[in-house]
Amino acid sequence: MSITVQLTYDMAREVGSPTIQVSGAETVNDVLRLTRQRFSQDEESYANLTRVAALAVNGVLISYRRGKKTKVQDGDRVSFVKAAAGG
Amino acid sequence: MIKGYAGRILTVNLDTQEHHFEPLDEELARLYIGGKGYGVRLLYDLTEPGIDPLSPENPLIFATGPLNGSVAPQSNRFAVVCKSPLTGGIGNATCGGSFAYALKRAGIDVLIIRGAASAPYRLEIENDEVRLLPADDLWGEGTYATQKKLGKKFKHAVIGPAGENKVLYAGIVSDERIAGRTGVGAVMGSKNLKAVSVTGNHKLEMDDPEAFKAYTKTVRKLFKEHPVLGESMKRFGTGAIVNTTNGRNILPTRNFKYGHFDEAMSISGEHLEEHELVGVKSSCMHCPVTCGRDVEVEGVGRVKGPEYETLALLGSNLEISDLKHINEWNYLADDLGMDTISLGGTISFAMELQEKGAFDVGVKFGDPTGLSELIRNIGHRQGVGDDLADGSRRMSERFGGMEFAMHVKGLELSAYDPRGSYAQGVEYATTNRGGCHVQGASMYLESIGPLTINPRNLKLKADIPIVQQNLGCAINSMVLCIFSTYGMFPAAIHNMSPNSFTHRLLSRLMENMGPLFRGFMGIKGKPMLWWEKWLTHITGQKMSGGHLQEIGARIFNLERIYNLREGLTQEQDTLPSRILNEPIFSDTTTGHPLDQLLPRYYKLRGWDKNGVPTAKTLKGLQIRT
Repeated sequence: MSITVQLTYDMAREVGSPTIQVSGAETVNDVLRLTRQRFSQDEESYANLTRVAALAVNGVLISYRRGKKTKVQDGDRVSFVKAAAGG
Repeated sequence: MIKGYAGRILTVNLDTQEHHFEPLDEELARLYIGGKGYGVRLLYDLTEPGIDPLSPENPLIFATGPLNGSVAPQSNRFAVVCKSPLTGGIGNATCGGSFAYALKRAGIDVLIIRGAASAPYRLEIENDEVRLLPADDLWGEGTYATQKKLGKKFKHAVIGPAGENKVLYAGIVSDERIAGRTGVGAVMGSKNLKAVSVTGNHKLEMDDPEAFKAYTKTVRKLFKEHPVLGESMKRFGTGAIVNTTNGRNILPTRNFKYGHFDEAMSISGEHLEEHELVGVKSSCMHCPVTCGRDVEVEGVGRVKGPEYETLALLGSNLEISDLKHINEWNYLADDLGMDTISLGGTISFAMELQEKGAFDVGVKFGDPTGLSELIRNIGHRQGVGDDLADGSRRMSERFGGMEFAMHVKGLELSAYDPRGSYAQGVEYATTNRGGCHVQGASMYLESIGPLTINPRNLKLKADIPIVQQNLGCAINSMVLCIFSTYGMFPAAIHNMSPNSFTHRLLSRLMENMGPLFRGFMGIKGKPMLWWEKWLTHITGQKMSGGHLQEIGARIFNLERIYNLREGLTQEQDTLPSRILNEPIFSDTTTGHPLDQLLPRYYKLRGWDKNGVPTAKTLKGLQIRT
C-alpha cells in the first residue's frame, strides 16, 4: 500500500524531491511517523520545518475529518500545506 | 471640498479634441468614495443602455480615490471603468505602479475619455495643461517600448498591440503593472488612444496630516513584521500560493479538469525565488511589501516575473512546468498588453477543443511548442489568434464546448477551483464583472489563509462573499491594493500550528458564527483597520468597517443595476458546467453546490428571487436609478 506524501518546499529541499512514497500506513499518524523517518534533522529542526503546515488527505484538511486518526488507503495523497496569500 | 480629493474631474473628448475641468461631486464622493465606485456611478449616468462597448459612446474612466497621492503603503493604484467588451456588463480593473500618484498630483481625481480619435493619439497632462498629440510613431509598439519612448518625466498608462487590435481581454499597462481584466485595453484601443501620460505638483490636503504620518509609520512597521506582508510575499511574491492551492486540490490543471498538478512545485514562488529571481525592482511606488518579482527573459533582459494567476493559468492549467517558458509568456502578455488569466483560460479551452477535434489551435497540453507564437498571434489577431482574442465564451458559441469553457459572464475564471472553495464559487457566480477573485477574495477565508473554515460545506458560504465583495468594492474605490487585507490576521494566528486544538477551535467558531458574522462586520464603530484609519485621517470622515460595508454594498448593487440594465440576468449568475457537475475530490460525485447557496445569497443581498435588488434595498443604500 503506497501513499504519496506531498511536501512543503522547504521539506522537499531537504530530501531532494517534492514528494516521497510511504508504505504500510493506515492513518495519517502512520504517514507522519513514516515521513519523519526520511528526515535526518533533530526533533527541534524537524518541528520547525513542519510547524505551520496543515495536513490534507487528497486535498481535504484532516481537521475536517478525524484529525491524525484519519484513515488512508492505497493511492492517497497526503499533503503538508502552508497558508499563503496573494492573488 | 472634502480633504483627500483634488476636487477636479477632467473630461477629454477625442471626437472634438476638446477638454474641460469640472468640480468633483462632493456628495458622490461621500457615497462612493472614488476609484471604482465613483467610476461606476459616472458610467451609469453618462451612458445610454445598450451601447456597443467598442463604440465612441463608451466612456473610459480613470479614477483615483482619497488614499492616492499619499504615501500610504499599497495605495498607488487607479481604477479604470467602462462597459466591458468581454462581458457586455460592467468593466473595471485596477492597476498599481506609479500612475495613480501622478494623476492625483496633477490635481485630477477622475479622467473621463469620451468619443474616439480618427487616428492614433496620445494624451499628455501636466497640471492644468492638457495636450492631445499624434501617436503614429508609437502605434504597434509594445508596452515596454512605448513607455521607454515616452520618457521618465511623466507617468504613463498605455496599451500594447492587443489593445490596438481590440483583443477582448486587452489591458492597460502602467510601469510593469496592468489593469488586466474585462478588456479595458480594448476600449482604449477602440478610441485610438495609445497612452495617457501625466505629471504634476499639486499637494494632497489631509484633514489630519500628523495623525496620518504617525499612523502610517506604525503600519509600515506592522507590515514589515507581518508573516505574510513582510515575509512570505516579500520573499516569494504571490507565487507562494501555488503549493498551497495544489495541496488543497484547487490549483487549476488541464483546463480545470483537475485540482492538482504533480509538477506544481517547479512553478511555485519558492522555486522562482531560488532559481529565477534577479530582484524586486518592479514593485509599486511606496509599497513596502514589494511582491513583484523580476526575472531574466532570454533575449529581452530583466522584466517583471509572473504572478500566481499567471503561474497557474499559463502553467498548471496548460500542464506546463518549465518556469522559463512561463516567464517568457508573461513578458509577452505584458508587452502586448493582455490579461494573463483570460489568456490562459482561453488557450486551455482551445487545447481541449482541439483534443475533441472541434478546433485546430496547433498547441497542446504539456507541450510549450508553439505557445509563444500563438500568444503573439492573439495579440495581433492573426490566424487562429483572431478567434482566441475573443475569449472562451465567444469561442464556445462558435465551435462548441460550452460545458468546459471556464468563464462566468464571459470573464475567464481565476486560479482557485471553486469545487474546493464553495464561497469563492458563489463569489465568482455573483461578482458583477464575472469570474474574478480580487473583487472579494473569499478563498482567503476558506482555502488559503492562516485561519480557514471548512470550504466544502454550506456554512457561511453565501455570507462570506457578500462581506468580501462589499469590502472589495470599498478597497477598490480608495484605491488600495487588495493585498492590504491579507494583513488582517495577526502574526499570532499565522504562527499557530494549524493542527493544534486552539487553531481548530477558532476555525470551528468562525464557521459557526452564522448571522453574527455579517452583523459583526456591519458595526459602525471606531475605525480599527489601517485603511479605515487612513480614510478617517485623510478625509476627516469617520470610516469604520461598518461604514465601508455600507458603501461597498452601494457600489456592488449599483454595478448589479448596471448589469441588469445592459441585459444581463440571473442566468449569468452561474458557474461553468464542469465546475457544477464534474467532481475533483475523491469523496464526492458532483461539483459545486451553487443551487443550494444562491437563494440565500440573493436574500441576504436584499434581492428578489430573480436576483433584482428590491426598491427597499436601493432606497436603503441611497442608490439613484
